[in-house]
Amino acid sequence: MTVLLETRGVWQRFGGLVANSDVSISVGRGEIVGLIGPNGAGKSTLFNLIAGVLPPTQGSIWFDGEDVTGMRAAERCQRGIGRTFQVVKSFETMTVIDNVIVGALIRNTVMRVARRKAYDVLEFCGLAARANVLASDLVPSEKRRLEVARALATEPKLLLLDEVLTGLTPVEAKTGVELVRKVRETGVTVLMVEHVMEIVMPLVDRAIVLDLGKVLVEGKPSEVVRDPKVITAYLGDRHAVGA
Amino acid sequence: MDKDFARRRRRELIVAFCLAAVAALVPLFVKDVYVQNVMVLTLMYAALSQSWNILSGYCGQISLGHALYFGLGAYTTALLFTKFGVLPWFGMLAGGVLSALIAMALGYPCFRLRGHYFVIATIVIAEIGLLLIQNWDWAGAALGIDIPVRGDSWLKFQFTRSKLPYFYFALALACVAWFVTWWLEDSKWGYWWRAVKDNPDAAESLGVVVFNSKMGAAAVSAFLVAVGGSFYAQFVSYIDPESVMGFQFSLLMALPAVLGGIGTLWGPVLGAVILIPLTELTRSFIGGSGRGVDLIVYGTLIVLISLALPRGLVSLFARPKFFWRKAAVR
Repeated sequence: MTVLLETRGVWQRFGGLVANSDVSISVGRGEIVGLIGPNGAGKSTLFNLIAGVLPPTQGSIWFDGEDVTGMRAAERCQRGIGRTFQVVKSFETMTVIDNVIVGALIRNTVMRVARRKAYDVLEFCGLAARANVLASDLVPSEKRRLEVARALATEPKLLLLDEVLTGLTPVEAKTGVELVRKVRETGVTVLMVEHVMEIVMPLVDRAIVLDLGKVLVEGKPSEVVRDPKVITAYLGDRHAVGA
Repeated sequence: MDKDFARRRRRELIVAFCLAAVAALVPLFVKDVYVQNVMVLTLMYAALSQSWNILSGYCGQISLGHALYFGLGAYTTALLFTKFGVLPWFGMLAGGVLSALIAMALGYPCFRLRGHYFVIATIVIAEIGLLLIQNWDWAGAALGIDIPVRGDSWLKFQFTRSKLPYFYFALALACVAWFVTWWLEDSKWGYWWRAVKDNPDAAESLGVVVFNSKMGAAAVSAFLVAVGGSFYAQFVSYIDPESVMGFQFSLLMALPAVLGGIGTLWGPVLGAVILIPLTELTRSFIGGSGRGVDLIVYGTLIVLISLALPRGLVSLFARPKFFWRKAAVR
């Protein structure tokens, strides 16, 4: 399996706070990788570094064989990195279809083609019936799906999902999981940040656990959840196996 | 789905064409010069407000300094004509291009500012422009420029006997501004601008280069406003700094759009048709300069509209369609 995304010795400092220290991870083409860890582990920071919201203090980020460290978010999107936001950022005064068209326009400049494409993506995400509704009128779970649809419309090679499954009802979360599987089947690589382990573990091929800004453990989900270091990080020393 | 959208777009064009045709016939029945004058101003402000709406309504960068571009258009045309004998048509184009360039030069630092800070910057920059012109002797300083009358002709765009040519030009300008907006609305730029207004971070993540989008909107907007300024200089044939670059012009460009519906296709037209005649009427009714009273009228209107219809007067038209659409889905 070839490597699609790689971070090499990435550091991020905010004043005296070290949010990421020497993080080197890689994501292979076609994988679903979960980025997990307790609150404050540096997941969102790493996520934002990969998406291009801010440049790392030190280290480099490689995507599809190219150094993208100095590129802005828009350029990275052009290269094939799509993302969603943890706190949904819909274009509230626009309709659902228009939201998705904004994403589709990066690959299709002919309006009719972009509109068609946006409609197909909405259908794929199960939002087609809501196409002409204002984004502000959607319920929270639909807004999450709109985030995914918008990112998919940019035809990404890598889709970054920032806690898309958190805060949903069990039924909504289940449809969300199915959507992520469907996305992978279309050949898109997925890197997802999740806080809640039981949702992501059955879904991902590989899990990377961050703690205190560093990579703690990396491996198959079934191994990772049993790792004493991970249990300690999440629950404290008392619950560690064999402690 | 595609068809519905195409049909809606076509319907907008047809409605606009019919309205323009009706407007073109009005002077055949209305011979009163005062009323014609009000109609010219109404059409001009409709065009200006439509242009302002591109940057401030669609792209969300609220400018209260567009008087700068209006004045630049007026001054470029008047100076080129009086000093170098350049025909106003070329002056109009030159003023437009100059304004677009200046808008981008100013946008370069200012578009890094967000929200209120951007608005304040636009006000301050327009005031600086006003002060510069007031102290520029070659351009007539505070006295302004008297555009010499060389007889009625389309070539020199001067008409002393009739207001009709100005009326038709203003109508054409309003149509052009409307059509440009209509065309941009369903283009890459239109979607990018609205995305930038609603959420710049999300827009950037979808490949929208936010900064360039704002620059594009500023250039188009400034160009069209400057053409309006050139027209105004020819129409009144005498300009001074206060009368083309004063803060009230910035307000008069923003208010029709805000009143009618900011960031909408029809808002500026609707707003101008209501606001401008009302302004002129209060002025002539009160007598004297009447300045101040018209401002009280705007203020009251804006407060009432923003309380009752925060999306502007166009939302009155949109509402029944919304119900109809909902019914159709069920």
